[in-house]
Formats: sequence, C-alpha cells, structure tokens
Amino acid sequence: MARRPVNPPATGWSLTIPPKIWDRLSDHVLGSAARGAVLLAGLADGPRGPRLLARELILADEGRDYIPGEFGHRALAPTFVRDAVIRARDEGLAYIAAHAHLGLDHVGFSEIDLASHERGYPSLSQISGQVVGALVITDHAAAGDLWLPDGRREELAETIIPTGNLLRLRSQPAEEGRPDSLHDRQARLLGDLGQETLRRLRVAVVGLGGVGSILVEELARLGVGELVLIDDETVEETNLPRLVASGREDIGRLKTEVAARNARRANPDVRLIEIARRVERPESLEELVRCDWIFLAADGDAARHWVNGTVQQYLVPATQVGVKVPLTPQGDVGQIHTATRLVLPGSGCLWCSRLIDPTRLAVDMHPAGERDAAQYVPGVPAPSVITLNTLAAGEAVNHFVFAVVGLHDEENDHASVIHRPRTRQRDLQEPRQDPTCRWCTSTGRLGLGRKGSTPF
Amino acid sequence: MTSPTPAIAEAVEAVRAQFAGHPVEVVPDGSGGVYVVVEQVEIGAAYVPSMTWLGFQISAAYPDADIYPHYVGPLTRTDGGAHGQAIQSVTWQDKPALQISRRSNRRDPNIDSAALKAERIRKWLADQ
Ligand SMILES: [Zn+2]
Ligand SMILES: [Zn+2]
Repeated sequence: MARRPVNPPATGWSLTIPPKIWDRLSDHVLGSAARGAVLLAGLADGPRGPRLLARELILADEGRDYIPGEFGHRALAPTFVRDAVIRARDEGLAYIAAHAHLGLDHVGFSEIDLASHERGYPSLSQISGQVVGALVITDHAAAGDLWLPDGRREELAETIIPTGNLLRLRSQPAEEGRPDSLHDRQARLLGDLGQETLRRLRVAVVGLGGVGSILVEELARLGVGELVLIDDETVEETNLPRLVASGREDIGRLKTEVAARNARRANPDVRLIEIARRVERPESLEELVRCDWIFLAADGDAARHWVNGTVQQYLVPATQVGVKVPLTPQGDVGQIHTATRLVLPGSGCLWCSRLIDPTRLAVDMHPAGERDAAQYVPGVPAPSVITLNTLAAGEAVNHFVFAVVGLHDEENDHASVIHRPRTRQRDLQEPRQDPTCRWCTSTGRLGLGRKGSTPF
Repeated sequence: MTSPTPAIAEAVEAVRAQFAGHPVEVVPDGSGGVYVVVEQVEIGAAYVPSMTWLGFQISAAYPDADIYPHYVGPLTRTDGGAHGQAIQSVTWQDKPALQISRRSNRRDPNIDSAALKAERIRKWLADQ
C-alpha cells in the first residue's frame, strides 16, 4: 500500500475517530459496494479549533438503510436518518453521515452530495440542535461539510485517527513543508512535513521527575512546538542524579520551573505552559484536554486515572512510561522492567488492564496531609536509576515521533513495550478491553468530550 | 471551585437515605469531591461512647475510586481492650479521630456505593 501523506496539524474544525471505530467505518464504506454510516460525536475545544469526537458508529444496512436516492446516487433511508438524528438530539451529540468515494490522496463532495446537504441539513440541524454534517473519505483523504446550530457552515480541516501511525486526513495532501536548517539532520528522516508536524503539536508531560525530565529534554530538542508541563513537586537533593540538566542550585525550586528552563535552553522557540499542580486539579485537566498527545510519567493512581479519563473522554492519545524495580525488604532484586504503554481511545484502557487500583486511587485523592496516614501499605521510596528511566523514556518518545510522522511499519500496531534489562528481553503486550468498561467503550465515556464535563 | 459531579451528588443523596434521620454534613474537598460526616451513628455497647460520627471522602474519582478509609470519633472499648489492626488514631479534618481501613476487594463501581460501604463499616465496627 502506498504510504499515506504526512499532513501537519491544520487549524479549524477537526474530527477525531478512535481506531476501532475507524476500522469498522472504513471496512463498511470503503468496501466494494457503496455503503453509508452515521457517526455520533461529542464536542471539545482543541489546540487549533473545535474538535468533534466520534463516540459511536451506526452502520447503514445495505438495501434497507442505504437505498437508491430520489436525486440519483444512493442515500441514507429517511427512517434511518430520523432515528439517528433523534439519538443525536437526545444524547447531545453531533450527527455526521459518512460515505466513501473512489480515489486516493484527494477527496471532495460531489454536486449531488452538496445539493442533498443543502436540502436536508437545515432541518436536521433544527431537529437535533447540534452540529450536523457529512464526511466523505478515501483510504488517504477525508473532507467534511458541517452545519452548526447557529446557521454557520464550516469545512472540516482534518480528520484524525490516533492509530499506530497517527493519521491526519485532509481533502488533499499538505503542501511541501518549509525547510528547517536547525533540524536538517533529523528532517532527513522525518521529512520537512514531519518536522512541521512536530512544530505544530501541543504535547503534555505529566510528572517531571526522572522520566519526565528526559521526555521534556528530548521533546524540546526534537522541535515540538508547545509543551504543557504538569507537576506540583519541588526538587530534592535525592532527585539530582536523575534530573536531566539539574544542579544543586535547583534544590527547592519547582520541577515545572526547572523543566521549563531546560526546554527553553533546548529550543528557544518552544511555547511553555507550566502548571505546578497535581494532575487531577481542574486547572491541569483544562490544559490536558487541549493537547495532541500526553506523556504520563507520574507515579500514582490519581495521575493514571485522570490521564486515562482524558484519553477516553477527549480522544487524546497518551503514552504511559514507568519503571518497576521489585525489591524485597531483605534486599532481593526481582525482575526489573520498564513499560512504555500506548493508551489509545477506545482500544482498551488503564482500567481494563488493571493498572489502576480503586483503593489506592481513593488514598491518592486525599489531601497531602492525610495521604500518608491513609495508606494501607506504608510507603517506602522505590529504587530509581537514570539508565532505566532513559530506556523507557527513549522508547516512548521514539514511538511518538514515528507515530506522528507515519514511520511505523504496522498501522495497527498498538502494542506496549516491556523491557526486562536483567534478562535482556523485550516483549510486546497487546491492550485488553472489557466490553462494559465505563471509560473506553461507547457505553462509557468514550468521546463525550465537554458534554461529560471537566473534571469528568 | 469545582462543583461535585452528578455521580457524587447521587452518592450523597443515597447516604442521606441510608442514614435517614441522622444529620449529614457535606463539605467540598476543593478538588471536585466532598467530605461527608454522618452524625449520631450507633456502634453498639462494645464502645464508649456507643454513638459517634462517621466520616469519609467521596473523591472526584468516584465511583471509580473506592471510599477509603473511614473515620469515627475517638472511642474506647468497654472491655478496656485495644483496637484491632485496621483501626488507628489519627487527625482527620483537624479533629481527633479513629481511622478505619477496610478496602473493598474486587470492587464493582456499579454496586459498591458510598452509602452501602458506610453502612458496612458501621456494622463491621459494631461487630468487633
Ligand atoms: Zn458522495
Ligand atoms: Zn477500559
């Protein structure tokens, strides 16, 4: 298959489709017969414009729901449209009808398509009181025609599928990117458009300790345009051996401040948002939900829960990075492992993988003063070594870069990577999903966006 | 200040219903959750006093998060014995308290509500 074009993030309305929903949609509408479907979508504010968040897919059955149209072409049956638009109204979701065209890198609506939108959408919009619209796709391109409740009409700037290679589909491929002499050597691999992609991204790093400080350094040097730095702690002496580019004079300073200084040194053009708060604070969540990617490098069940919630409810992909050094009280070292876990919307989440414990989460949500006493196992500092952190951080950032510029070999590779340095093994781990999960399924909060409120 | 989510508001209503007739105090925890204190809870003849307050936090992560731990006012055993392992003296919300640490294993967010757990804790304490 021809490689998809690399499209840097575009400004304007976007539609994000979780990978599993995209697979079902494209199987259905890109097959041999002309078939249609409807996406129901939540709404959120994004870093470059309003975002539609596909939450549920309603397939139109060939013959019954998708029939020869009155004006030529085939069309969704009136009863199918009515049922879907009433659900959109009742659930406060956008209604987006999808079909496919032949073609590869370019796609657009036909005259017949546009005429049918003009006939039908004003009344659908009135019935639902929500955004209604249409999406037309090929395997490599997508275009959208949106009708807003206030009567305005907008084009979709891009359709995003956060799969193994994060796809950004437009109606036509982006123009060649501008050369960047500073990043010349890496742009030889990533391409000028790949480099431009990094420059337009807004990426969060949650937890700025041993792993997070490496992530920030690498993301800034790569040329990521905007970083959201979240951590409420200050630097202690015992952090120094693992905090990249830190010195004794940093003891007592906020970790956000130190990370921001290092990021600026790495890339003077980087835009920085420093939030010296815990991640579950509303101020942190407000920034987190407007990112393109989240790196979760904080220990603790609260950070895992809230980042997981952001991934699922706001369809923002994340990478969880962790290092585990099992140590008995007698000092016996078990199987050390580093984990780089991809957390994708709708594809199995940290709850499904049992990586969050409800009781530890309850304790973690206590105010600092009560947390220690509430702990059911007294906390002892876990071992931490910079080389192990480097292993996990490097894997995580590399995966991210390859994903956003489309360099992964396998589109549907969603596996996490587990390194076991003592035995020098490296394993891939597929995510699992509980079909009734409250977070990563269409019966849960998947794609609810703003409607599910923040905090969620 | 964030207002409590519908899940928390619902949980508080269920606590009020569970302990109907008891004063229930609810204060925001500042992070989208609440502190709940149920007054005049009966814990039986094994303790002095035999009636106390029962307090807990319903955090913003509810119902995914467990309700843990629970707190009651300072108590002594009528038989003069020591408290069991899951009970310890702490300060909670600026007042002296006993902390009761009972986690819910294999917790199901659809079943293990704040109200049911509060009643289970009251009963567990009374049975000690
Ligand atoms: Zn068409
Ligand atoms: Zn899940």
